[in-house]
Amino acid sequence: MLCIEAKSLFRSYGNVTAVDGIDISVESGKIFGFLGPNGAGKTTTMKLLTTLIPPSSGTITILGIDASRHPLDVRKKIGVVLQQPSYEPTLTVEKSLEKYGMMWDIDIKTRRDRVEELLTAFDLQDIRKKKNDDISIGQRRRVQVAREFMHDMDLLFLDEPTAGLDPSARRGLLDYIKGKVRDGLTIFFTTHILEEAEYLCDEIAIINRGKIIAVDTPDELKNKFGREKTIKIRIGQMQEISGMLQGVRNYDVSHDEGTVITIHSADSEQILAKILQVLQSNNIQIEDLSVVPTSLEEIFLTVVKNSNASSISSGK
Amino acid sequence: MHPVFRLVNRNLTISLNMGFVIWQVIFPIIYIFVAGFAYTALIHSVPFGSKSLNYPAFIASGMIGFNIMNSTLISGIIIWNDRRHGMFEQILVGPFTRAQYILSNVYTIGIIGLVSAGLITAIGYPIFFKSVEFNVLTIPLVVFASMTGAILFGSIASIISTRLKSSEGFNVVINTAFLFFAFVSTAFYPAQGAPPILATAFYLNPLTYLVDVVRVGIFGNFTGTVGYEMIILTVLAVIFFGIATKLLSRLEI
Repeated sequence: MLCIEAKSLFRSYGNVTAVDGIDISVESGKIFGFLGPNGAGKTTTMKLLTTLIPPSSGTITILGIDASRHPLDVRKKIGVVLQQPSYEPTLTVEKSLEKYGMMWDIDIKTRRDRVEELLTAFDLQDIRKKKNDDISIGQRRRVQVAREFMHDMDLLFLDEPTAGLDPSARRGLLDYIKGKVRDGLTIFFTTHILEEAEYLCDEIAIINRGKIIAVDTPDELKNKFGREKTIKIRIGQMQEISGMLQGVRNYDVSHDEGTVITIHSADSEQILAKILQVLQSNNIQIEDLSVVPTSLEEIFLTVVKNSNASSISSGK
Repeated sequence: MHPVFRLVNRNLTISLNMGFVIWQVIFPIIYIFVAGFAYTALIHSVPFGSKSLNYPAFIASGMIGFNIMNSTLISGIIIWNDRRHGMFEQILVGPFTRAQYILSNVYTIGIIGLVSAGLITAIGYPIFFKSVEFNVLTIPLVVFASMTGAILFGSIASIISTRLKSSEGFNVVINTAFLFFAFVSTAFYPAQGAPPILATAFYLNPLTYLVDVVRVGIFGNFTGTVGYEMIILTVLAVIFFGIATKLLSRLEI
C-alpha cells in the first residue's frame, strides 16, 4: 500500500519555482530518503506533503487521504519534525514532552509512561528538569525529535533530524527510528548526511532545482551511478603524473593535491595495475594505497553535477 | 478534549510563570496603595456622575481596566514567541487548524482578562467598598468590559506580533503603544479638568471606554454615554479581532 503518493507536484513563490512537477511514491513501512543540495526544494516538498502549504498544482494523497481536501485528517495521522528548531522556552524538558502529549489528546497515564520511555531512549534523564532555554542546541534537538514520539502516528516526516547532534546521539536516533519502522511506521526523511541515508533508507530520491533527478534503492543507485571505484595513492614526493598516464584509458584523476592522487575508474583493477606499473617504471615511491567503492556521497555529487550541467546546456 | 481547549491549556501553561503573576499583582497594588494614597493630598475627590469618589477608589477601579489591557499583552507574546521558537509551524502541522489556534488565543486572553479583573476587584475592594453598587445589572458590565477589552487589546497585541520580527522591535512598539493607552486615558485621572486637547485624546483611546464601563459596573451611574462607549468598544473589538485573524491566517510559513 502506498503511504505517500504525490503526482505532478508544483509549487512556486512568485516567479521562482521551488518544486517543479515531481512525483513521489512511498510504500508503507519503508524509510524514504529525500536528498538534495541547499535550496533544491526539499523543505518545500516537506511542507507540501505535511499540508503546511498548498501546492500550486498537482495532487497529494497521504495514507489514502486527499491532502488538499482534508489536510486536518492527514495531520491527525502524521508526525512532523521540522528542520527549524521548535520548543517552548519556559518549559522543562519533561514538561514539554508531557504538554505535547496533552496537545495530541493522549491520556494522562500513557503520557506519563511515554515521557519516561522517551527520556531514557533519547538520553534526556539528566536534563529532564532543565528548561528548554537552558539546554544546548543538540539537546534541544533531541527533545524536539523525542517529543514527536509522544503521539501515535502512521507516517513520520523528519527534516534533517540529526542536525546538531553528536555522533553518538545521531546513531542512537537512527537506531530508534529503525526500531519504530520495524513496528510498522513509515518515514519520510531528509538529510545532508549521506551516510545516514545509506544506513537508514530503503529508497532514496535526489532532488535538484525542484526536480527529482534520481530515485531508487541505495544499492541500485550505486549500481547505476557508482560502478566505478576510487583509488587513492600517496606518493613520496610531489609529481605531476597525468603526463605519465597517457595511453591509459577509462580513468579520471578528479583530485590531485600534492602527494595524494585520487583516481576514479569503473575499470579499477586494470587501471590500478597500469598505474602501479607506470609509477614503478618512473621510480616513484608509493607510501600508501587504497581502493574503495564509490560512496553514496560521491554518487550524490555526480548526479547533482550532471543535473546542473544538463540544466545549463539546455539553458534552464 | 476539544483541540481549542488543549491549546488554551498549553497557552496558560507557557504564559503563567511566577514573574508574570507577580507583575500582574504587585504592579496594580503599588499603584492602588502607593500612588492612590500619595496623590490623595493633591486630588481629594473625583466627581463620578452623582457621586464623589476618593482618589484611591478611582484609581483602584481604573487599575482593573489597566490590568485587563496589560494581561492581554500575553496574547501578542504567545504569538511572537511561537513564531520565534518554531511552535507556530509545529502546531499547524499538528492536529489543529489556524482558526483553532486563533480561537485558543482569544479564549486565553479572555480567561486572563477575567481573572485579572477579578483579582484587582478583590484587591481594590477594601478601597472602594464604601461606594460600590454591585448588583445583577452592574456585574455583567464588568464582565462585558473584561471580555471585550481583552479581545480588543489582545487583538492589537496580536497584530503587532504578526508584523514584527525582531524582539527589540516587538518590545519597543508594544511598550510604546501600551504606554500611550495607559497614560492617555481615564485609568489614572479623570478627563474633567484636563486640558481640552488631552481630554479629547483620552476619548480617542479605547482604554478610556473600557475603564469607564468598568467604573459604571462597580459604582453604578449608568448613562447614555456609557451605552455609546460600550457600542464603540464592541465595534473596535470586532474590527481589530477581524484584522488580527486575517493577518494570522495569512501569516507565511
